[in-house]
Amino acid sequence: MEGSLNMVGYGLAAIGPGVGIGLIFAAYISGVARQPEAQGRLQSIAILGFALAEALAIIGIALAFVL
Amino acid sequence: MFGITMAASGDEFVAPGPNSFDFDAVPLFNLGGLAVTKPMVQLLLGALIVFVFFYAAARRATLVPGRLQFAGESAYGMVRNSVGRDIIGSHDFLRFVPYLVTLFFFILVNNAFASIPGIQFPTFSRASMAYALAGLSWVIYNAVGIKKHGFLGYLKLQSVPSGVSPVMYPLLVPLEFFSNILVRPVTLALRLFANMFAGHLLLILFSTGGLFLIEYGGIGYVAGPLAWVLAIAISFLELLVQFLQAYVFTLLNAMYISGALADEH
Amino acid sequence: MQNLIFLAEGTEPTEGGHAPENPLGFVPVEAALSLVVFGLLFFLIWKFVAPRFEQTFAERTQAIEGGIAAAESKQAEADAKLAELEKQLADARHEAARIREEAREQGAAIIAEMREQAQAESQRIVEHGKTQIEAERQQAVTSLRAEVGALATGLAGRIVGESLEDEARQSRVVDRFLSELEAQNGTSAGSVN
Repeated sequence: MEGSLNMVGYGLAAIGPGVGIGLIFAAYISGVARQPEAQGRLQSIAILGFALAEALAIIGIALAFVL
Repeated sequence: MFGITMAASGDEFVAPGPNSFDFDAVPLFNLGGLAVTKPMVQLLLGALIVFVFFYAAARRATLVPGRLQFAGESAYGMVRNSVGRDIIGSHDFLRFVPYLVTLFFFILVNNAFASIPGIQFPTFSRASMAYALAGLSWVIYNAVGIKKHGFLGYLKLQSVPSGVSPVMYPLLVPLEFFSNILVRPVTLALRLFANMFAGHLLLILFSTGGLFLIEYGGIGYVAGPLAWVLAIAISFLELLVQFLQAYVFTLLNAMYISGALADEH
Repeated sequence: MQNLIFLAEGTEPTEGGHAPENPLGFVPVEAALSLVVFGLLFFLIWKFVAPRFEQTFAERTQAIEGGIAAAESKQAEADAKLAELEKQLADARHEAARIREEAREQGAAIIAEMREQAQAESQRIVEHGKTQIEAERQQAVTSLRAEVGALATGLAGRIVGESLEDEARQSRVVDRFLSELEAQNGTSAGSVN
């Protein structure tokens, strides 16, 4: 079996953002459960946080291909 | 599919890889010396589908909508209200609505090509196309901000965080500038590209892998169909991802624009 | 076998002698094409689709708001009518109270008048009675005067006729006459002389 160590590295690097995104949406869900009327505000904040956390994973995949 | 099948050739399984996305090798036809590839045709087709749908829906717009007009209005209204108005704010969202609507449906249709039989290729898994849209978004939200605040005012808005003591500025200002101006377009493009790329790769892997296993025989007769069942499950997941990526791309565009339009704190 | 080392040099070229490309590589033609196609689509949507939808939305909003405005004007009209009716009712009540007051005053006036009239009447009756009594007394006096003459004459005749027979009886008659005369004088003094 052949392959690149880059991809293993990327897999490891994706753990962090994965946990982060999970935390963000967990907080979002419990926030909406407590205060359903705040969903609109929370949604945009959650998506923004998700985008920021996912940026790390995306940079990771870019580097996995480029390096 | 256009000669880039990753199916079992010989007795070794050839895993799908970036080559599955390399269409430069197999242009559909040449147009004045320019090799026209499948994604380019898809791009045009996607734009055509979006325009024909909306044009047909809006052509005879009446007060009481018909079925097609209602569908068009719902689609348009979803982006207009839940993305445009809610994020940018009711004051000046209206002039961005055509841009956001175009963006969302152009990306959505081109993503959906991944699941349409006979096409089965997400256009934006070609990174260059995602780069182009992200670059355009970058130009637009920066231009909007500079037009409203002036060049220096805009730089200050985007890179000087509010509510932080000036002691922290040397640390925070470069960070904010980096994340607000430099990283945004990169992540925007790569998020779209990487999701489409990975999803398509998974689908190829499970379909061609299943075929290889069945041809291999033995335990493959059990594992092969299982792989295909998984491929079907992943197809449904991909449908969700296609929509979600188009939505997130548009939503982030709206957020960046609203951030650029935000008043000084 | 193709491996996953994407940028590794020396990997076997794919079909047509084409070098394997980096999936993140920038292909100017594709980027330019997607910009052009997107721009074209944006122009078409901006030109043909968005204005019509916005116009329809605006018309619909206006239709709904127009309905609301009509309903509001109707409501205002009804309110005005109600206020007017209430005002009229209040006026009517006021009028009724005024009339009642007036009637009461009038009634009081009438009663006072009646009382006055009755008093005048009774006074008149009393007056009338008094004059009648006076007239009757006058009549009695005149008839008495005539009778006294006759009596005197009668008495005188009697005295003359009986004086011979009984001295005592004669004096009794005179006494009786005188007492009668006295009694008559007591009742109507000064009228017989």
